[in-house]
Amino acid sequence: MNVELSELTRRFGRTEAVAGVDLEAGPGVLGLLGPNGAGKTSLLRMMATVLPPSSGTMRLLGRDPGSFGPRREIRRGLGYLPQNLGYYPGFTVAEFVEYFALLKDMPPRQVPRAVAAAIEHVGMGDKARKKLRTLSGGMLRRVGIAQAIVNEPELLLLDEPTAGLDPEQRVAFRTLLREFGQRATVIVSTHLVEDVAAACSEVTLMDAGKIVFHGTPGELIAAGTGHGVGDAPLERGYTAVLAAARS
Amino acid sequence: MTATTLPVRSRPQAGQPGPLGLARLLRVELRRNTMPWLLPLIAAVFWFDSYRIAATLPPLWNLRAFYILGQGHALIDFAPFVAGVAAWMGSRDGRRGLADLVTTSARSRFAAQFATWAATAIWAVGGYLVFMAATFWALSRSIAWGGPPYWPVAVGAVGVAAFSAAGFTAGAYFPTRFTAPVAAFGGVLACGMSSQIGFASYGGWGLILPTNSNNNYGQDAGIFYQFLPDLPIARVMFLAGIAVALVALLGVRATAGSLRLRHTAAVTAAAGAALAITAIALALTAQVTAYGVVIPALHDAASDRPIPYTPVCGQAAGLPVCVQPAYQPYLADVTAALRPVGTQLTGLPGAPVRAAQVANFFAAGPGALSPAGVGQIARISGRPPVLYLPLGAFNLPAIFGSSPTGFADQIKLETVHAFVTTGKSYGDPAQMAVEAALMRWAGIPVAAQPMQVLAPSPWALPSNGPHPGSTYPAPIAAAATRFAALPAATRHAWLASHLTALRAGQLTLAQLP
Repeated sequence: MNVELSELTRRFGRTEAVAGVDLEAGPGVLGLLGPNGAGKTSLLRMMATVLPPSSGTMRLLGRDPGSFGPRREIRRGLGYLPQNLGYYPGFTVAEFVEYFALLKDMPPRQVPRAVAAAIEHVGMGDKARKKLRTLSGGMLRRVGIAQAIVNEPELLLLDEPTAGLDPEQRVAFRTLLREFGQRATVIVSTHLVEDVAAACSEVTLMDAGKIVFHGTPGELIAAGTGHGVGDAPLERGYTAVLAAARS
Repeated sequence: MTATTLPVRSRPQAGQPGPLGLARLLRVELRRNTMPWLLPLIAAVFWFDSYRIAATLPPLWNLRAFYILGQGHALIDFAPFVAGVAAWMGSRDGRRGLADLVTTSARSRFAAQFATWAATAIWAVGGYLVFMAATFWALSRSIAWGGPPYWPVAVGAVGVAAFSAAGFTAGAYFPTRFTAPVAAFGGVLACGMSSQIGFASYGGWGLILPTNSNNNYGQDAGIFYQFLPDLPIARVMFLAGIAVALVALLGVRATAGSLRLRHTAAVTAAAGAALAITAIALALTAQVTAYGVVIPALHDAASDRPIPYTPVCGQAAGLPVCVQPAYQPYLADVTAALRPVGTQLTGLPGAPVRAAQVANFFAAGPGALSPAGVGQIARISGRPPVLYLPLGAFNLPAIFGSSPTGFADQIKLETVHAFVTTGKSYGDPAQMAVEAALMRWAGIPVAAQPMQVLAPSPWALPSNGPHPGSTYPAPIAAAATRFAALPAATRHAWLASHLTALRAGQLTLAQLP
């Protein structure tokens, strides 16, 4: 398993953002759904080794991130797109991706080819020499995805990756997700259930820091049959599960 | 819960990245650093504050370098900008919302921050060195002899690096947009305090401050004797220690890297602090000698050897006049000033047979310009008598408002004074009157002497003598005017017969003809 979480908890003061989550994930695309404040971002940040858990155990890529050496190894195989991606306005697209490739300890000789491939992957090949300050929000999001995948990660964590992408880009992005899901564990936090329906093999639904549903998109759709509210089947499943969890 | 049951893919091992990765990181940082954008502004400030004024000073390396390096103007011009930009770079990840992303990178946070700081410091120090090289080149075009002092340049370079380290560390610890202006203001404040404390510190720990203008430059350092590197070496140690300690502080934080790295950083920070403290301790042992500051633990005896030179000479009314080649631009002024004086003194007992420049001894602190002897005022000594002129102690033309006329008048005054009173004191009323008369014949009207000549005289004025801006006391002025009105032959004859008594202080005003 690339991700093994057991009774994982994260508190911020008196607030329990993540409350005893158990999760295991191997290669494939896992959609992480949930309302605002459900704990998705906190869970992703813990898996990205940004935040240490308050309690519970976590093994990523077969290693315990609690100590520096294994954590470093995990980070070498990690790709992460935060919810709010900052950027260096003076960097070009290529420089930004190269910068993070180097920070990820990629062998320098492999960096130029990897950078070019990642930029092409997100459809920004023609903008490689553009300064980041000149790009639109959607383009910046794609640059963020490029830096996340530049090191061919084994564990790819994407927080709201399709925010700001136009429909055509989202379609292309789902293809990218499926492609990466063939060989890596991809965990995508999103509010867009159609992305989950199209690209994810598994779905996890969180509410109030807990996992209230885990299964396939088909199972989530089935849970909403005749119960939920929404225009799409997956939305009905989403609302039905949440309503049941809160009742 | 299991999302999938596929086996974990083993990641291909690419091997440990070496320094090449860090070098490439540095290359990216160098290319996208903010510092180069500020260099044109710093260049303008540097030109206005440092070069523009230094270029108007006499064409001697020690004087021009003293203004730029001794008073620390170059460092003052750089420090606030460097500290501000470094803070801006240090706070970059926090300001730009990239803290999470850079935290998840495999390379230690310290390594990434070190690359960012190094790029900033390379631009800043590189800019400083380029500006100094250009400045020296431009200044050298009008300087006849010698070369600039290099150790003080090293002090400035390490100082710039220290300010970049301070600013960067502040930015990294407090990553807000306000840190940069606060750091820049801190740079101004630090330089201002360094200068202010330095102005009042002629010894002790204050010597370590990089813009302390006292004790680090002799007027003739680099001309007659070498620039003593002792104090600059201590300052380099002090600033390097601060820079190392501050940069190492980046590695102490919990997010910086491995425990081993953090321990190493803590030890390095302590070592840097120890180096800075050692430098202060060395400054406390400093001794102010005639040639500058000597720190026994750092002193190399080879630095005490005088600099060999071949003097350049001219003639002043039959009086051979030789100066150090660095002062060649002033030879004509010196001979012109000595000509009317020499004409009057020729043939008198004790009159000099030649004039030679001697080194101006270094002096610092209140009252240091008392007439201690050779090296601070003109003296006539030896057999046959020789007039020794410490031109470096004089107000050379263009030095802070001094004019060629003022320089010539000072040579006349000091020569006459050395001839009449043997240079030990201002003189009694009779001596003052004779000096005034001789200066009158050398071209300085009696009424103008108190204002033009005596005001900058290097010896203390007596309570019964003239005061700057006023006039001679009436009896002295009357006697001087009367003596000056005598025919040259009469005056010469009287001096020939009465000089010994006059010098011994045995004559009164009434005894003057």
